[in-house]
This record gives sequence, C-alpha cells and structure tokens, in this order.
Amino acid sequence: MTNPFFIAASADKYSIARLADIYNESRVDYIVPMPMNAKRLHDYVAQYDVDLSASVVAVNQDQQVAGIGMLGVRGTRAWITRLGVIPTRRGRGVGQFIMDSLLTNAVSRGCQSVLLEVIEGNEPAYGLFSKLSFETTRRLLVIRRAPNPLPAETLRVEPLNIDQITLFLSRRPPVASWLNETPSILAGGSTVEGLCVSLDSGEMGWIVYRSTPFQLSHFILGSVTDDLSDECARALLRVVHTRHPRRDTKVENLPDDSPLWAAYQALGYGIEFTRIEMIKPL
Amino acid sequence: MSKIVIIEDDAQSARLAARVLKKAGHEVILAEDGEIGLRVVFEHKPDLVLIDLGLPDIDGQTVIGLIRENDDAKHSLIVAFTAYPEDTAAEMAKAYGCDGVITKPIDTHKFADQVAGFFRRD
Repeated sequence: MTNPFFIAASADKYSIARLADIYNESRVDYIVPMPMNAKRLHDYVAQYDVDLSASVVAVNQDQQVAGIGMLGVRGTRAWITRLGVIPTRRGRGVGQFIMDSLLTNAVSRGCQSVLLEVIEGNEPAYGLFSKLSFETTRRLLVIRRAPNPLPAETLRVEPLNIDQITLFLSRRPPVASWLNETPSILAGGSTVEGLCVSLDSGEMGWIVYRSTPFQLSHFILGSVTDDLSDECARALLRVVHTRHPRRDTKVENLPDDSPLWAAYQALGYGIEFTRIEMIKPL
Repeated sequence: MSKIVIIEDDAQSARLAARVLKKAGHEVILAEDGEIGLRVVFEHKPDLVLIDLGLPDIDGQTVIGLIRENDDAKHSLIVAFTAYPEDTAAEMAKAYGCDGVITKPIDTHKFADQVAGFFRRD
C-alpha cells in the first residue's frame, strides 16, 4: 500500500510481545477496554487463524508506530480484527490506511469477502467501515454470567467425545460469527468439552464449550432430535453451570435475535456490550 | 490507614491512583495484571481492592469471582475501577459482587474521598 505518510509493515516482522504492546497502546482509551498480554494475543492469533503476514503495523516516516490491524483468513473469507490507531497519531488517515492495506492483502490472498465487528457506539470506526462499503449484517451480544452455584440436576447427561463434538458442530447452519465457527471452537484443543442432555419429553440437546481453569466460554448449543426448545436450552446451560459452579462465563457474539437469549437470561446472564457485524464483498 | 491493592495494567493510571491514595495515608500495593493481582491479594489480604475490569491476561470480572471464592480474601472490599460506560460498569460490578465502581479517568480532587466512602459504608 502506498501513502505519502505511512508504510504498512508486515506484522510478522514484529514479536508477539511487541504487537501486544502496540495493540494495547492503540486501545488505551477504547470504548470497552480489551488489553492483551503476549500469551493472550498468541492464543488469539492461533485460534482465530490470524495471518500475521497479511496483518499490518502502520509506521510513519519517522519510524514511529501509528497503528495496527490484523487479518484472519479462512479459505476465501477474511476477517479484520484488532484494529487500532495510537491516540496521539489519530486524525491523519491512519485508520483508513490500515484498512486499505488489509483489504489489499485479503484480495491478494484470493478472499472474496471480509467480515469485521465493531463495538456499538464506536461511531468513528463504524463511519470508516461504512465509508469503505461495509454493510451491517446483525448485532451480536457479548454476555456474561458471574459464578453462581445452582442446585444439582437430575437430567440424563452424557459427555461427548471429540468426534461427536466435531460432528455436531459440522451440522450447524453456516451462521456462526468468526469467533464461533468450528475452527475457532476446535482450536481450543483440550479445553473443548461437550455434553448431551436427554429430557423426559424425548428431546435431546447438546452443548459444546471451552473450559479453562478460570472461565467458561464459546458456548454452542444444538438439538439432536429437532429444533432446540427453550426448555432444552435452559437444561443444557443448567447442566454446564452445575458442573462448573465456580467458573466465570463469557459468551461472545450471540445474535441479538437468537431464540437462545431467553434461556441465557433465565440462567442469570447479562449483556456486557454489543457488537455490530459488517461484511464487504471483494 | 488501610491496605489497598490496585490491579491495573495502565501504568500511568495506576501510578496516579496510588499517589493520591498514599497521600491520603493508605498503604498501596500495585499489581499490573490479574495473575499478579490474585497473588498479591491472597498474600496481603487487603482492606480494599481496586480492580480494572479490562486486564491483559484474565478478565477483571473473572479475577473478582476468584477473590470472592477465596476464604482468606473474600472479605476485602472490591471496587471496579474502569473506563467502561457507567451503566455497564455498574451492572457488571453488581453482578460480580463488587462493593462499588469508580470510573476512570479519576478526579484527583475527589478520588480519595470516593475510596474513603467505601470504608465508611462498610
């Protein structure tokens, strides 16, 4: 990408620790603070197929870093993430320069569409993406539940093995957000767990999630027998929280019109913030 | 004098808060991320923990949950110290059992009184 003021340096020329520092510096006053240390960024890059050779660090003519943007690539689809401009270098077209560079890199890798998410209320970023012909597809909720033990369940519950987990995930319609697509979930490795619950009505539901020592995340729910009922969704969530009563839970990118939202609310989840998903065909 | 742990990754913000609280006579211990914060809180059992919700290693909410689960530390006052929008911060703080919220950036003229208010309430 050419620009009289900035150079797009490939992010793979920087250490993960340096990239984390740049990212944190660019987001220090962000609407929802989401800093990352090197380990967290390393995991993020691996789990969400971020291609560092297609990701950029914007550098000005004095070799000062002005901002950062990352590009995930899955087949012919790309995803822009971790975009930020260092506060003291804003207002000089850095954001658009980074976006143009990422879009160019996506095209050069054969991508046919680019997705991104912007936090609701971040008007400058939303305005930039709209100007670049990104169109809103939906609103996505980031929801949390504080640790809160529940009474023991008497449902029939079977653990799922990794083959069953992979099979159930593969049967989903292709509507998951990037963070919840099957590669994102399975990249959790040994933290990925799955359960199948049978109700007295005969309905069987499944839930797949990630379980780390501190947090549960990446919940995906489905039905084995039919459409997932609200009763079954609540049962699945209750089973997980009964098994992990002391664990904090964060579920990202639940579509705001999801029929599952009522079940989450019934189990004590609240909205942390909302993202707007946008797409641009290339 | 009270013992206060500040868990905050933004060094500038942490130093400013620490300076004001030390001037008010408190003992202050800084922790730059959630893991260090947990270690410090469990070791020192402070009277009050000021915790940023956006930490670089573990979410602040998760850290709060872990403090509340610890028998030795669960009686510490916990105050969310955050740049989140005020409504969201208040809801998160309530859901996770915090004793209150102080939004950033701090007002250096009011900050010590805001913190003292949590001790009076207790």
